[in-house]
Amino acid sequence: WGVCLMTPTPMTVTENFANVIHGLNASHLTDRVIQRSKRMILDTLGVGLLGTSTDVFHKVTQYSKIYHSDASSTVWGHSDFRLPPLYAAFVNGVAVHSMDFDDTWHPATHPSGAVLPALLALSEILSQKQKFSGLDLLLAFNIGIEVQGRLMRFSNEASNVPKRFHPPAVVGTMGSAAATAKLLALDQFKCKAALAVAASYAGAPMANAATQTKPLHIGNAARHGLEAACLASLGLQGNKQILDMESGLGAFYTDYTPQFLPTLQSYSWLLDQQDVAIKRFPAHLGTHWVAEAVSSLRKHLVETDDSVPTSRIKKIVVKVPVVRYVNRPFPNSEHEARHSFQFAACTALLDGSISVQSFSDQKISRPELKELLSKTKLEHPADNKPSFENLYCEVNVTLQNGKMFSERCDTFYGHWRKPLSTDDLKKKFHSNASSVLSVEATEGIIETVDNLEKVEDCSVLGAFLKGTQSTKVLSKMCLP
Amino acid sequence: MLLCIITVTSSFASFIHGVQPEHLSEVVRNRSKRMILDSIGVGLVGSTTRVFNIALQYCQLYASNAVSSVYGRKGLKLSPTLAAFTNGIAAHSMDFDDTWHPATHPSGAVLPALLAASQMLPPSSKPNGLDFLLAFNVGIEVQGRLMRFSTEAHNIPKRFHPPSVVGTMGSAAATAKLLSLNVTQCAHALAIAASLAGAPMANAATQAKPLHIGNATRLGLEAALLAAWGMEASPLILDDIPGCSGFSAFYGDYRPKPLPLPANSHEFLLEKQDVAFKRFPAHLGMHWIVDAAVSVRNLLINYSGSFSPSLIHAIVLRIPVSKYINRPFPASEHQARHSFQFNACTALLDGKVGLNSFTDGCIHRRELTELLAKVLVEHPEDNIANFDKMYGEVALVLENGDVLTGRCDTFYGHWRKPLSRESLLNKFRSNASHVLPDNKVNSIIATVDNLENLPDSSQLASSL
Repeated sequence: WGVCLMTPTPMTVTENFANVIHGLNASHLTDRVIQRSKRMILDTLGVGLLGTSTDVFHKVTQYSKIYHSDASSTVWGHSDFRLPPLYAAFVNGVAVHSMDFDDTWHPATHPSGAVLPALLALSEILSQKQKFSGLDLLLAFNIGIEVQGRLMRFSNEASNVPKRFHPPAVVGTMGSAAATAKLLALDQFKCKAALAVAASYAGAPMANAATQTKPLHIGNAARHGLEAACLASLGLQGNKQILDMESGLGAFYTDYTPQFLPTLQSYSWLLDQQDVAIKRFPAHLGTHWVAEAVSSLRKHLVETDDSVPTSRIKKIVVKVPVVRYVNRPFPNSEHEARHSFQFAACTALLDGSISVQSFSDQKISRPELKELLSKTKLEHPADNKPSFENLYCEVNVTLQNGKMFSERCDTFYGHWRKPLSTDDLKKKFHSNASSVLSVEATEGIIETVDNLEKVEDCSVLGAFLKGTQSTKVLSKMCLP
Repeated sequence: MLLCIITVTSSFASFIHGVQPEHLSEVVRNRSKRMILDSIGVGLVGSTTRVFNIALQYCQLYASNAVSSVYGRKGLKLSPTLAAFTNGIAAHSMDFDDTWHPATHPSGAVLPALLAASQMLPPSSKPNGLDFLLAFNVGIEVQGRLMRFSTEAHNIPKRFHPPSVVGTMGSAAATAKLLSLNVTQCAHALAIAASLAGAPMANAATQAKPLHIGNATRLGLEAALLAAWGMEASPLILDDIPGCSGFSAFYGDYRPKPLPLPANSHEFLLEKQDVAFKRFPAHLGMHWIVDAAVSVRNLLINYSGSFSPSLIHAIVLRIPVSKYINRPFPASEHQARHSFQFNACTALLDGKVGLNSFTDGCIHRRELTELLAKVLVEHPEDNIANFDKMYGEVALVLENGDVLTGRCDTFYGHWRKPLSRESLLNKFRSNASHVLPDNKVNSIIATVDNLENLPDSSQLASSL
C-alpha cells in the first residue's frame, strides 16, 4: 500500500560504502596493508601514551570522570580508573593528538587517532560477550582508515593543507563510525545509518588548530563515530544518501564529487598505494621539512655539539608554502609552537634537532630563541604547493659577515617517500611509552602489535595500555 | 589596565559575562517565558517518540553521575550532558518546536542544557529563576547575533542545519552565563563549541534530525564545562581570518560585527523579532500551505456543499524553492513533516493537521495518496525561501475547469500573528498531558509564569 517503487533504485555511493564496509573481510587485507597498519597502530599507541602526560589530556579526563559509572574501558596509561567507552575513546583520542605527534596521510588528515581509540574502547566492553581477535581489530582499523581516504578523494580541495574544516573532524568521524560499525558487525542498512548519523557530528573549523582544543578534534572524531555506530545499531536512521548529497557530507566541501568504491572481488586498499608519514617530533608535519633543511644547514656553521653563535646570524629566510595556521613568528604557547615554521627553524638551528623537550615553556621562552625568531622571515615561492605530497623547504641563513648558506629538503625522513625504519619506529614507541608504562608493558605492546594477526583476543592490548605489570597478560596473547 | 583590541570574539565574551537581569525588558521576558513553556511542552510530547527512545537507551549505558531529569521519565536521571542530549532530541523529535528569523530553532538548543546544568550545581550555588531566564536569553541572543553575520543565514538553509551551527554556540553561551564563567572562559566556551558545531542539511527530514538539537544543546553545555575546567581554544573564533576559518567555516559569506557592550542598555533581538510557535508538528513552511489549503477547502465546501476529492482535477501548490521540504510522496513520518505536498493534502482531506496526521496509518491512507497524485508544484519568483517573506498558495483546478484558490501570507502562530496566551497554553496542555498528570501540568505553567521569582531554578527541571 502507499506508493512504492518496485523497480530497484540504482545504487547510491552511500549504499556502496555500506556494502563494502559490511562485505570486507580479513582475506581482503594484503601483506603490505597489514604491515603498514600495524606500524600505524604501534605509533598511535605510543604517541597516545606520551600524550597522557599533557595538560589537555588532564582536563578532558577530569571532565569525563564526572560520567564514570560501571565504566569498563581503559584509559591509556592509567590503571587507577576506567571510563565508559564513549569517554575512553574521547580522552584517548585527545591523548593521541595532544602533541601533534600522530600520523599524517595524503590527502591530509590524521587517520589513526580517530579510529584506534574507538575500536579499543569498544572491544573492551564487548569482550565480555565476544572475543575479538587481532585480525578483527586490524580489519576494522583498516576499514576506518580506508573510508577516510576514499572520502577525501571526493574533493580536490582535500588534497591541500586545509583552510576551513580540520579534516580529522570531518573524515575522521566517518572513519570511526565505519570502523565501529565493522566491529559491531552491523548489517548493510545499519552501516549506512552509522555513516549518516556520523555526518551530523562531523566538522570543526581550522581556527582551533594551534590551540589546546585541537586535540579534541581527534578525540571527538573517535567518540562521535563510535556513538553514531552505536545509535545505528540501536536502530537510528539518517539520510540514506548522506555521501551522495551536496547537502550531506558535501556540506563540508566547496567541490564534492562522490565516487564508488572498488568491487569486493578485488579490493584495493588506499594504504597499499599510499603510506602515512610518521613524525619524529611532536609538531605540524610541515615543520618536519624545515627541521631537516635546517639541520643540514647547521652543519655548515658549527660542529654538531657546538652551539650556534646567534649574534653572528643576520637573517634567516625559510621558504615554505602558504599555510596560514603554521605561520607564527612568535609563538606564545606549546600549541602555537608546534604550529610554527619559524619556531621549528630556530629551534633546529639552536639545538641541531627538534624533540619532545623542545616545546617546554622554558625552551619556548629562552632569549636565544627569541633573538633568532626576530631575524626569521618566511617566503612563499610560487612553486611551493601547500600539499604534503609536493611541498619542500629551502632555508637560507645569512651571516653578519655576508656569507650565506642554503639547504633544501624535499622529503624528510619519516615521510611516506622515506619511511621510518622498523627500528626507528620502535625506538619512537619505546621513548613515548616508557614515559608512562613499565618496560614489560612497553615490550608487551610491541610484541602484540607485531603479531597482531595471530592474537586471539585483542583485549590484551587494553591490559598493557593501562600499565598492568603482570605475566598473566602475556600468556593471554596465545601466540604459537 | 591593558588596552585590549576589541575582537568580535572578545565582544561576545564580554556580553555574555557582563549582561545582567536588568537588561531584560518586559517584552523580552514575556516572549522568552512563552518560549520556555512551549519548549517544555514539545519536549514532553517528544518523549513519546521512537527517536527519543533510541537515544535514551543509548544514554543509559552511561548513566552514572545521574543528576539531571529527563522529560517524561519521572524518577530517571542521567548525567547532565546526556540529559541535555535526550531532552534536546525530544524537543525537536516532531519538528514541533519554535522557529525564529533568521531561521533556526532557538529554544531547544538552549533550554535542555540549562535545565540539566541547574541540577548539577550544588545547593549553595543554585541559580534563581531570574538568573535562569537571563541565561536563556543570552543563549537565544547569541544565536540571533551570529546568524546576522551571514546573509545566506536569512534564507531557509541549504548546507548546514542552523540549530547545529548557532544552536551549539547559544547553548555554550547560555551555560557559560548560568555557571558564571569569567570573560576569558566565556570566550573559550564559544571557541570550543565551534569545534562541536555543524551538521549537514541532508539529515533533515530523517530520524537523525532531532539529534541536531540534542547535540547542539549537549555539546554547547560540554564546551562550557570544559572551559570552566580551563580548556583553551582560539581567541579569534568568531573573527574573520582569511586562510584559517573559525566560525566562518560554516558560511559562504561571513561578516562578523562586535556586540555593543552592555554597559547601560542592551537591546535583545527578541525585543524586535519574536519567534513563531507551531500549531502542528511539521516544518514551519508547512504552516503557510496548510492555512492556504484549509481556506481553499472551505471555498470548495461552499461551492459544492462538501469536500469531494473527485471534483478535483489538479492541486497546484505555489511554494518557494527548497529541496528538503519538497516531497511528492513521503514514506516516513520524518519525510511527511517536511513535505509541502503531504501537508497540503492532509489539510484538504481533514480540514487540519495535527499530531495524529503523521502516524503510519494516516501517512499511507489511500485517499491521501490519491490526492497526492494530483499535486503540481510551482515556484513563483516572488515566493522567496525565507520565513519572513514567503507565502503559500493552493489552487484547486476542478474537473469542470473552475479554479478555486486559497492563500496564506501569515499563518496564525507566525511572529506577525502570534499565538494568543490561550492558544499557547492549550498547545502546552495538550502536549504535556501525554506524559504528565494535570496537576503537574498546571504547576509547570505556574512555575514558568513566575520564573523571575523562583528562588531555585533547578525546581523547574525536577518538575518535569
